[in-house]
Amino acid sequence: MNLASLAFKSSWNRKSSVFLTLFTIAISVMLLLSIERVRQEAKSSFANTISGTDLIVGARTGDIQLLLSSVFRIGHANNAVQWQSYEYIKQQRGVAWTIPISLGDSHKGYAVLGTDSSYFTHFRYGKKQMLAFEHGRAFHNGREVVLGSDVAKKLNYHLGEQIVISHGMGNTSFHHHDDNPMTIVGILKPTGTPVDRTVHVPLIAIDEMHGSGHNASPRMIGKAINKPSNEAVHSHDEHKHEDHHSHDDHEHDDHEHDDYSHGEHSHGEHGHKTHQPVESEPGDLIGEPKQITAFLMGFDSPLYTLQVRRNINQYKGEPLLAIMPGVTLRELWGMLDIVEKILLLFSIVVVIISLLGMLTTLLATLNQRRRELAILRSVGARPWHIFSLLTSEAVIITLLGCLLGTTLFFVAILLAQPVLQAQFGISLSLSMLSSYEVMLLGAIMLAGTVMGLFPALRAYYYSLSDGMSIKI
Amino acid sequence: MIEINNLVFSWPKHPAPTLDIAALTISQGERIFLHGPSGSGKSTLLGLLAGINAIQAGDIKILDTQMRQLSAAKRDQFRADHIGTIFQNFNLLPFLDPIENVMLGCQYSKMRKSKLTQSLQQIAISLLENLGIDHTLQAKSVSELSIGQQQRVAAARAFIGQPELIIADEPTSALDADSREAFIETLFNQAEKYQATILFVSHDHSLAQLFDRKVSLNEINGAAK
Repeated sequence: MNLASLAFKSSWNRKSSVFLTLFTIAISVMLLLSIERVRQEAKSSFANTISGTDLIVGARTGDIQLLLSSVFRIGHANNAVQWQSYEYIKQQRGVAWTIPISLGDSHKGYAVLGTDSSYFTHFRYGKKQMLAFEHGRAFHNGREVVLGSDVAKKLNYHLGEQIVISHGMGNTSFHHHDDNPMTIVGILKPTGTPVDRTVHVPLIAIDEMHGSGHNASPRMIGKAINKPSNEAVHSHDEHKHEDHHSHDDHEHDDHEHDDYSHGEHSHGEHGHKTHQPVESEPGDLIGEPKQITAFLMGFDSPLYTLQVRRNINQYKGEPLLAIMPGVTLRELWGMLDIVEKILLLFSIVVVIISLLGMLTTLLATLNQRRRELAILRSVGARPWHIFSLLTSEAVIITLLGCLLGTTLFFVAILLAQPVLQAQFGISLSLSMLSSYEVMLLGAIMLAGTVMGLFPALRAYYYSLSDGMSIKI
Repeated sequence: MIEINNLVFSWPKHPAPTLDIAALTISQGERIFLHGPSGSGKSTLLGLLAGINAIQAGDIKILDTQMRQLSAAKRDQFRADHIGTIFQNFNLLPFLDPIENVMLGCQYSKMRKSKLTQSLQQIAISLLENLGIDHTLQAKSVSELSIGQQQRVAAARAFIGQPELIIADEPTSALDADSREAFIETLFNQAEKYQATILFVSHDHSLAQLFDRKVSLNEINGAAK
C-alpha cells in the first residue's frame, strides 16, 4: 500500500467533508474555466465580426455607437447618411468598393439589413473570409431576401418561402407589412457574427416598406414609370392583401397600395420548402433611397483610407463620421476590458475561497486524526511521510476537483452554447482545453498543493511532538 | 537486548529531569512487566526506546545499536524494522480493513518484509487466524470489531515481520479481566514463536505474575523520587 492509496483511503473515510470540499473546488474551477472561455470566445468573435473593411461611415455620432449600430446591430442610429453623400464619397479616389447598409427594421426580432449586391462580394469577416451561401444565391431583385444562418435555422425557413418584413425593431412590431412578402432566395453559411442573425434585403425593399418617409408618392410613381421590367412579375396572393387591407390602411401610406397595384411582386408560391434555387428576373436592388444608415468602404491602399477619412469627417454636405473598425473594435474591447478583468478577478477569488475551504476542512479534521498519525508513526512512518500524506490528500482533492470542474465546464458549455449563440452571438466551441486553460488548471493545482502544505506542516509538528503517544 | 545506562531525560521547559535511570537490562525473549503510575515517566521511556525522542544523556542500546548515534530518520527506520507497538486502544486505522491494518506493520520496513516466508497478505491472514480473528471478522470493518478483537488485530500488526521487540503500552486496560489474560496468553504464544522480547507496560499489578520479571519504574527512575 503506497502513500497515495493510504491518502485516498483516509480521505474516503471522511468522504462527506471531502466531497463537499471537492465539489466546492469543482464549482469554482467550472466557473473560472467558463468565464475564461466565454471571455476568450467573446473577444475573438468580437474581433472577427468585421474584417477587411477600412472605413465605416455614418451620420455623426460616437465612434463606438456607429460601430455598434452598423456592425453589431446594437442600438439605433438616429441619423442617416444622405444618399447623395454616399454617391459622392463613393467617387473618391482610391475607393475600391462600398457597401451601403440600411438598418432599423426587423423580422421576428432579427435585424433587417438593406444593402446591394456589393455586400455579398465585398463583405468580409473573421480572417478576411467571404460570405458563403449554404443554399441559394444572392438577391436579384427587390422582392428577394437572403437570410443569415441562424435566422433560417431558428425560424425554420427554407428557400422559396415567403416572409414579411416589419417596420421597426422588436418581435412584436405593430407595423406588419403583410402586403410586402419577400421570397427567400439564399441562406448564408454560419459566420459566428451578427450576419447570422440578419435578414438581408435589397435597399429598394427597405425603401418600399417605409415608403421612404412620409412625403410619399412621387418616387413611387416615378419608379412605376421608370422600371417597367418589374411589372412583368406577377402579383402575389390577392386575398391575403385584401384581408389585411382594412387595418393596413391606417397604418401605412397609400403608396403601399400603389406598390401593389403596380404589381411589383415576385413569386407568390407559398410553402415551397425545398433547397431548389429560386429562379427570378434580375431587377433593381437599390431603387432611389433618400438615405441609408451607414456604409462600409474598402480602399486600394491604406494611404487613401486616412485621406478619405479626413475628408469625410470634414464633409460639408452633412455631419458625417468615418471610423476604422479595427481601431474602434479595440477601443470598445478596451472599455469592456475592465468588466472582463473584474470577472476574471471574481472567478479567481472564488477559486481561492474554495481552496481556503479545503484548507479549513483539512485543518479542522487534523486534530481528530492525530491518533491516525500516531499509529503511522508507531509502525515507523517518519514525520516526512506524515507530511507527504497530508500534502497528497490536498493534491488528490484539488486534482479531483479540477477534473470534476472541467467535466462540469464542458457540460455547462454544452448547455450554454445555444443560449449564448442566440442571445449574444458568442459562438462557444466545445473544443479541448486550450494551453491557457490547462495553465489555469495547473495554477489551481499548484495553489491547492501550497494550501496542502499548511495542514501537512502542522501534522509534521504534531507527529514530532506527539510521537506515538496519543493525547486526545 | 535492551541496555540502559545513566539515562537522563528532561522535557524542554521542565527544569527537573523526567527520567533518570542508572541501569536497566532486558535480555532477548524476556517478558517484562513494566509497572509505573501515571507521571512516572512511562511514556517518556517508551518514546526514547522507540526512537521517537532523541537521547539527551546516557545510553540506550537495543540489539547492539546505540540509539544515541542514530539520526531521527534512522531511529524511525529502526523502530519500523525492530519494534512492534500495541497501544491502549484505538490502535487501528478506521479506513483500512483488519488485514490491511496488519499489513501496515511492514509498510515502512523492507527488513520486516524480507523476513516474510509468504506473501504479506497471507502472513497477515494467518497471524490474524492465530490470534483468533477468523475470516468473518477479517472481512468486517475495523469499527465493527470489539475492543478485544481490535487489540488482537493490533497485536498481529506488532508481530508481523517478526520484530525483536514488542512494546505494549497498557494494551489490556480496556479489556475485562477474562479477556486480559487470554490476550496476554496469545501475546506470549506469538512472542515465543518469534522469540520476541515483550515490554508490557501497565499499572494493573494483578497481571504481573504472568511475566518473567516485574520492573517498577518508580524504583529505577531516580527522577521520580
